[in-house]
Amino acid sequence: MEVVAIDQISPDQVILFAWGFVTINATLAYTWLIMGLLVVGSIAITGNLSSERTMSRWQNMLEVIVGTIRSEIHDIAHEGSDTYFPFIATLFLFILFSNVFTFIPGYVAPTSSLTTTAALAILVFIAVPMYGIAKNGILEYLKEYFRPTFIFFPFHVMGEFSRTLALAVRLFGNLMSHEKVIAILLAVTPLFFPVVMQVLGLLIGLIQAYIFAILAMVYIASATQTHEETEHKPKKETEPVKI
Amino acid sequence: MHIDWFVFFCQIVNLLLLLFLLKKFLYGRIIGAMDAREARIASTFADAEKSREAARESAERYEKRLRDLDAHVDAAMNRARDDAEAHRKELMDKAREEVDGLQARWVETLKSERDAFLADLRRLAGTQIYSITRRVLRDLADVELEQRIVEILMERIQTMDEEERGKFRASLADGGTITVQSAFDIPDVERQKLDDVIHRCINGETQVVFEKSDNVMTGYELKTDGHKIAWSIKDYLDSLEERFYHALYEEAQEKR
Repeated sequence: MEVVAIDQISPDQVILFAWGFVTINATLAYTWLIMGLLVVGSIAITGNLSSERTMSRWQNMLEVIVGTIRSEIHDIAHEGSDTYFPFIATLFLFILFSNVFTFIPGYVAPTSSLTTTAALAILVFIAVPMYGIAKNGILEYLKEYFRPTFIFFPFHVMGEFSRTLALAVRLFGNLMSHEKVIAILLAVTPLFFPVVMQVLGLLIGLIQAYIFAILAMVYIASATQTHEETEHKPKKETEPVKI
Repeated sequence: MHIDWFVFFCQIVNLLLLLFLLKKFLYGRIIGAMDAREARIASTFADAEKSREAARESAERYEKRLRDLDAHVDAAMNRARDDAEAHRKELMDKAREEVDGLQARWVETLKSERDAFLADLRRLAGTQIYSITRRVLRDLADVELEQRIVEILMERIQTMDEEERGKFRASLADGGTITVQSAFDIPDVERQKLDDVIHRCINGETQVVFEKSDNVMTGYELKTDGHKIAWSIKDYLDSLEERFYHALYEEAQEKR
């Protein structure tokens, strides 16, 4: 039995429970599953953390993941990276685990739902000005929309929306299309080839998680650092010409 | 393709909830543990560096102490060597002095023993010569030695030249006596003869006193207060002693 039929383009359409406007669909169910796994796994592993030289393998794995994300964020943001770290790391881990479990039969990634990716993109859309304002103040942040001249304001606004839309659609499109491709291939060539595609799907899932997190970080970094760069840019002084 | 707005908001809430939970249960704890480990490692390295520095300082200190000790040992050895050399010289000098002293004492003892021996020899030889001479004279010439000595003395007085007689007379001018000292008792007859010769040849009024000497070597002596004539076997004995002395000395030289 397939959870998502080939004609159902999103797990949103698999309604598990509906009462009035309250609709519990597969997207929410799998989101909770992933959340539960992440939280329970974190609690289980971090329950007895060791700050000694020796540690458990699970702790070592978590430290590698967290350390890698931290260093990646630091490479982009340079300063204040720990401020953005929880947000970016949560996006990355959620998308990664959502995508990775697609090799389990019957599982559908919540990220293959436009609702989920839109929610993620909206969070980024809100987070970027929040971090920018928190860092530079609302006036300075808003001034960025009028740089270099006020003519650029509409382009800045359009850019904000378009990149949010792009974030949502890119992730959704990649994951959704992958699942559809797998479904189609299973119907056409049920042996061997779908396995290769599953492996490719894992890679795509990892890359998409990385791209989403990195782009979110880049947007946040651009909102917090652009102003600093313009402010600290040394003014060119004109030297008097001796005749 | 549509967006379910309820699910959309649910997802936003879900993600914010996940953010909160992960921040609480994952990031904080893991980063805390990593930071604690880093701090621990840093402190371990700092401690190690401190220990290394302390060890280096200790090593330098001990090296310096070792060098000082070596120098001290060398100096002490040199000092001890010098002291030992000085002490050796002192002991050698002392030993030499002692040996010299012993040798000197030995030589002194030897000399005194030799002198004592020669004196004994002289005394014994004198006695023996005297008795031998008496016996030889008696056996060969039927002459008593003492009698012969008295005769010689009388002859001497009689053959004394005027100058010598004048000296005796001058010494007897203020009175006084003429003493005849001999190693033996002069018989009365001989005394009378001697008394006559003295009175006749030197002074007729002077009293003649006869004395016996304990020393056999004395022979005879005729003396006044200022002048005397004598005969004794002392000269023969001196010659004998000298010969003995040379004989002993040459023997000692050969033994050396």
